[in-house]
Amino acid sequence: MKMNCSHLLSYIAEEMNEKDRKLFSEHLKNCRECSREYDQMTEAWNKLKWDFEEKSAPESLKHDVMNFVFNKSQPKNHLLVSWIADLRKQFTPLTAGIALAFAVLSCILILFTIQLKNELAATEEEKLSAEVSGVMLLHSADGAGGMVNPAGGAFILVQGEQRSLVVQLQNLPALQGSEVYQVWLLKDGKRENAGTFKPDEKGGGRLTYSLEETNQFDQIGITKEPDPFSKQPRGKKVVGFIKTL
Amino acid sequence: MKNKSDEQLMVLVNRKNRPALEELYDRYIRLIYGFIYKFTDGSEEKTKEIVQLVFLKLWTTKSRYDSTKGSFVNWLLTVTRNVCVDYIRKENLHQKNNRQMDLHGSSEIADPRNEIENSLVLNEISKAKSKLSASQNRLIDLLYWKGYSLAEIAQMENEPIGTVKNRLHQSLKKLKRHLEVGDIR
Repeated sequence: MKMNCSHLLSYIAEEMNEKDRKLFSEHLKNCRECSREYDQMTEAWNKLKWDFEEKSAPESLKHDVMNFVFNKSQPKNHLLVSWIADLRKQFTPLTAGIALAFAVLSCILILFTIQLKNELAATEEEKLSAEVSGVMLLHSADGAGGMVNPAGGAFILVQGEQRSLVVQLQNLPALQGSEVYQVWLLKDGKRENAGTFKPDEKGGGRLTYSLEETNQFDQIGITKEPDPFSKQPRGKKVVGFIKTL
Repeated sequence: MKNKSDEQLMVLVNRKNRPALEELYDRYIRLIYGFIYKFTDGSEEKTKEIVQLVFLKLWTTKSRYDSTKGSFVNWLLTVTRNVCVDYIRKENLHQKNNRQMDLHGSSEIADPRNEIENSLVLNEISKAKSKLSASQNRLIDLLYWKGYSLAEIAQMENEPIGTVKNRLHQSLKKLKRHLEVGDIR
């Protein structure tokens, strides 16, 4: 559309589409006549809007307007609502019941697993909290009866209320037949059996013995016995330890 | 929100701040409601629908209020009128499809002078409008307050569009002469 002065009133009355408005704005800049007329008329046109009286709206209107605006402008909510509605259609009372039962079962299993994990963690902690309460000093190796001298250590491990004696030795002479090494707890010349063990091919031996509260001792003796049934030492002493702590 | 300026509120509304929109509602609902009430010839039902559309427009509009181009209230009422005109045009189009429009010589539009006489607030524009002839007043009301286009009015009045434009030209110039200098609000 070629813009000329005849379009001025359509322009003022805001009847033009955006494209034509832009075209006429260009015309207005270049046409002195239109520009003068426009200035005179537009002021009156802009004041026409004041020809009314303010009026109180009903109290409930605000609520309705806000609902309208926020429901219209948030289609995402509609999607969610319709999605939930669709989902509900997928379930009969029976399937819903089964689904619910599975959900409850899953919850129970999850809770059970968490509890189990916690218990395991507590156990781990207990293990970690084990401490060495007594260290034994290697005392003698006079009866080893060979070219090699046994070496090693012994200590008491405390885990909660449980006390264990741990003995670890290297370079032990090899045994023959039913022979075993036997550990004795010594207190005031009395000897108590604390278990037997056989060393591996390299002469390494290890023994862990659970101590009773009644087990009192200040030395340990290890003897070579002909079989694992000795009530009192029958063979030679190989190594001795003295409690230091 | 109470201490914020209209312009600050509108910036917040552009950023989708709901309390800001509610504050604008509280400040201007009487104004907007009164404007639309007049535009719809006192139809409460249509007024409610259009108020909703105006606030939806404020919430979704990408156009910003520019304080250099006039007061906020002026801008707000221009937005309100645009929504009114869109609404009425759609409705008229709907009616056109149902029945032939024949408003020629119709007395549906009350004599604006009666409204003015009844109103307690005789504001500046009302005074100026009272100086217009009946046909000039009728034109302004059909065009500004009923949302008819110049072409529609020419058809209704059975006159060439040039005559209608000329009458609008004369009406606006006469109004300007009678309007006092300065902003009325």
